[in-house]
Amino acid sequence: MTAFWTLQVLNALQHAALLFLIAAGLSVSFGLMGFVNLAHGALYMLGAFIGISVAAQTGFWVALIAAPLAVSAIGALLYLCLLGRVARLGPMPQVLVSFGLVFIATELVRIVWGDIPLVLDPSAALAGRVDLAGATYPVYRLFVICIGAAMAAALWLGVNRTNLGAALRASVENPGMARAIGIRTERMFLLVFTLGAGLAGLGGVVAAPITAANPGMAVSALIPALIVTVIGGMGNIAGAALGALIVAGIEVFGAVLFPAASAVLIYAALAVALIWRPEGLLVAKGAR
Amino acid sequence: MKPFVFSCLLAFALPAHADTTVGLMLPASGNYAALGQDIEDGFRMALQEAGRSNIRVIEADTEADPQTGLTLARKLIMQDRADVLVGVVSSAVLGAVRDVVHQAEIPLIVANAGNSDATGKDCSAFITRVSFSNDQLNRPMGEWMAAQGISSVYTLAPDYAAGQQMIAAFSDAFTAGGGEIVGGEFTPFGKTEDFGPYLAKAQASGAQALYVFYGGADAVSFVKQYDSFGLRDTLPLYSVGFLTAPLYLREQGTSAAGVIGALHYLPSLDTPENEAFVDAYQKAHPDTLPSEYVVAGYDAGRLLVGALDSGAEGRAALAAALPQVAYTGPRGPLKIDPVTNNIVQNVYVFETVEGPDGMTHQVLDTVEAVRDPPNGCAME
Amino acid sequence: MFRLDAMRIVLLVLLLAGMQVFAMLGGFFGQEIVAEIAILAILAISLDLAAGFGGMVSLGHGAIMGVGAYAYALAGQHGLTPWPAALTAIAASGVTGGLIGAVSARMQGIFFIMATLAFGQMIWAFTFSARWLGGDNGMGGIARASLPFSDLSQPMAFANYALCLLLAVFLLAAATLSTPFGRSYQAVHDNAARAAAIGLAPRRIRITGFAISSAIAGVAGILAAQHMQFISPAMMFWTTSGEVLVVLILGGIGTLTGPIVGAAIFVTLKYWAAGWTDHWHLVIGALLIAVILAGGRGITGEAERRLRHAFR
Repeated sequence: MTAFWTLQVLNALQHAALLFLIAAGLSVSFGLMGFVNLAHGALYMLGAFIGISVAAQTGFWVALIAAPLAVSAIGALLYLCLLGRVARLGPMPQVLVSFGLVFIATELVRIVWGDIPLVLDPSAALAGRVDLAGATYPVYRLFVICIGAAMAAALWLGVNRTNLGAALRASVENPGMARAIGIRTERMFLLVFTLGAGLAGLGGVVAAPITAANPGMAVSALIPALIVTVIGGMGNIAGAALGALIVAGIEVFGAVLFPAASAVLIYAALAVALIWRPEGLLVAKGAR
Repeated sequence: MKPFVFSCLLAFALPAHADTTVGLMLPASGNYAALGQDIEDGFRMALQEAGRSNIRVIEADTEADPQTGLTLARKLIMQDRADVLVGVVSSAVLGAVRDVVHQAEIPLIVANAGNSDATGKDCSAFITRVSFSNDQLNRPMGEWMAAQGISSVYTLAPDYAAGQQMIAAFSDAFTAGGGEIVGGEFTPFGKTEDFGPYLAKAQASGAQALYVFYGGADAVSFVKQYDSFGLRDTLPLYSVGFLTAPLYLREQGTSAAGVIGALHYLPSLDTPENEAFVDAYQKAHPDTLPSEYVVAGYDAGRLLVGALDSGAEGRAALAAALPQVAYTGPRGPLKIDPVTNNIVQNVYVFETVEGPDGMTHQVLDTVEAVRDPPNGCAME
Repeated sequence: MFRLDAMRIVLLVLLLAGMQVFAMLGGFFGQEIVAEIAILAILAISLDLAAGFGGMVSLGHGAIMGVGAYAYALAGQHGLTPWPAALTAIAASGVTGGLIGAVSARMQGIFFIMATLAFGQMIWAFTFSARWLGGDNGMGGIARASLPFSDLSQPMAFANYALCLLLAVFLLAAATLSTPFGRSYQAVHDNAARAAAIGLAPRRIRITGFAISSAIAGVAGILAAQHMQFISPAMMFWTTSGEVLVVLILGGIGTLTGPIVGAAIFVTLKYWAAGWTDHWHLVIGALLIAVILAGGRGITGEAERRLRHAFR
């Protein structure tokens, strides 16, 4: 029985790692700019599809680097041409413009990659399984956990231990004051948005060997990521990580213990979180 | 704006002078778009083969949305004066159009939607199905597995009507054959991308085998994840054959090796009819094998052509003639059961194996002329 | 504050008359489309009441409409005739909306959106897997209302019936907004703190407003159930609510006439664009972005602004 629970704990961690990659960018761009980007799931989808195409030419490891870079570039372009302007208009236009982008991205993916689901074969070095505390677990899933943990640690250090991170935190807490002391918040916005897009792209390419890439994933990935963001609290890395762990825990252990209710559980968790702590569990100080 | 749109609507609704008008109701967008494309390819192939130029086809994009499907069905029936409707991928769309079709007394050839009730308690003299029913594929598989001496099974399927129906049909047949269902789970539909938690449960259940139904992106993900957990030796995978169907097999690759399933058509069937069919299909689609959806579309076309050849004309005559058509096609002998208007066909139990040119299906057993019991069907 | 001024009345009359003509000339398909536009417009008006006049942007209105549709179908199965069944269904939607509102009303902006998303998705997920409700296969055999002077099984009669209901809902919404309650409701949206300072109870007012909006969404649900004579959980999924929001923004939020314009455009575009492209969502997405970039007032809002300038 221990092997069973070990497996499920690992499953939850692996799921949390993916959720964190998708939600981190969403959370920080919300905290910083108050920008709800519904197109974030579309960036995740593009990461998966670009990764699959690159891997077909050059192999898995190149795709792992190239796809996030490509998605960052797309993110930066979107911000400069469109979303940067919309970000100033308030929540409703943001929601709608990014919803429009979801429509467009989904159709473009259908045109370019077709309707049949695609998968990515990971490097042979990551194939196979290892024994952990009596449980046999796929190496690739451990790799996903490591990537998620490494990214979370790197981001936390970057935000909390560097000058740039200090400037970022200042911009989240009090944008006006940040500008007054010479922080160029506009450039900060672009940087954060690009980085968030890159993380979503990384999430997409990392997920592609586990879940088949398909045009529906822009929508299906969005809701869990939004829930992570709201539960964890917007605008901080630790919150996104905590939110990802909570949502993954609910999904995995909900499926194990209360299968009949598992479709409803994360929505119920979202509702409870909103009622109990509407600002999120760990909210950046000063942010709304 | 109004007059402009209006004239556009008129433009594609104006009746042309053709002997027979077909309303082709398939999803061209949304989740089922790939299936819709295959069915249409097959249907047009059959018409072309018959060399009939007096059949006019009006396409309608139903998406997978009952509201859209119903509106377009009404348009095809009342405005375009279609003689026959063909298509319907999603069972929800079939449920939505069922009453309209029945009341308008227009024949509908169902080319996919497998809801058993459509040729069971909700059957209609005007609805003929050439694809399959959920019961029809799962019942033989349950009997076959029990006969193989498998004593305990764990089941997994998405939590929606088709998933529930498939697993119920399988479980009934399997337990009637002496097997035991030791457990099972219905996974949330459309959002379970990670099957890890369920695979661990299946493994812990101590069952001898795993029986699942998944389609679309889930089929690819499930097989990949099953393989990555290395369950092949301890918990062999059986399925409704959609899991490793041609549409997904290329992506699944060697992960699908050893999966056993049951399906009504396989591109690797070794019959002259099928060989000719595969050759013809590959002329238009090089390097692609026809899926069971292509065949369903093709047989829908053959059925229609057969009915027309018998001299039937107009809705009532076509509705009466369609169930009379019988022939041996790509999937083997095919006829329509007059009691339910569901297809009577072979079900092939197969193993997914590595062949010289990639993955293929090897037939283990053929369950001949599978026919659904009436299940409460009473046609007036 | 909402005003039913001459311009809006003229636009409303033109729209209704245009649809009436379209239904008469457009054949059966035109009549089906007009009924579908009317249903979508009623839902969009209900969302306009919540989002445009109350600042409560809801991604749960599809689910609330679905509650009305299912309640109507269930009441019919249990022997109620159409009109009492419709009243039951409106009550069911209103109560559902009241409950969701009671929990969510103190939240603002994105938090309110997320809360309505959560409750809507719970309703959808429950219905989707509930076998006694037919699951995703839905329920059929739903009766249309009966009128002494008109046979609603005829598409033309049904289109007219739908247009009449649309007019009734429009007038009801406009009347609600001009009652003392309606004025307090809009005042709370404009400035909750000031409204509280003059003795209004913002939370209770918002809850009531959301419940009224939900009851109207229930009307849309009943009409949809009567139109299709079949219902399925597809209408409850959050993307349906998202599309209604799109309709509202395209047409013009906070105008009550905008929802009708938006619904007409959305439905015609859906069937017309689907005739020549499999990718009509692309068109909708681009249109949506264009409208927002043009100022976000929507087609009606923009037209009203220009006309006002022209007549000044």
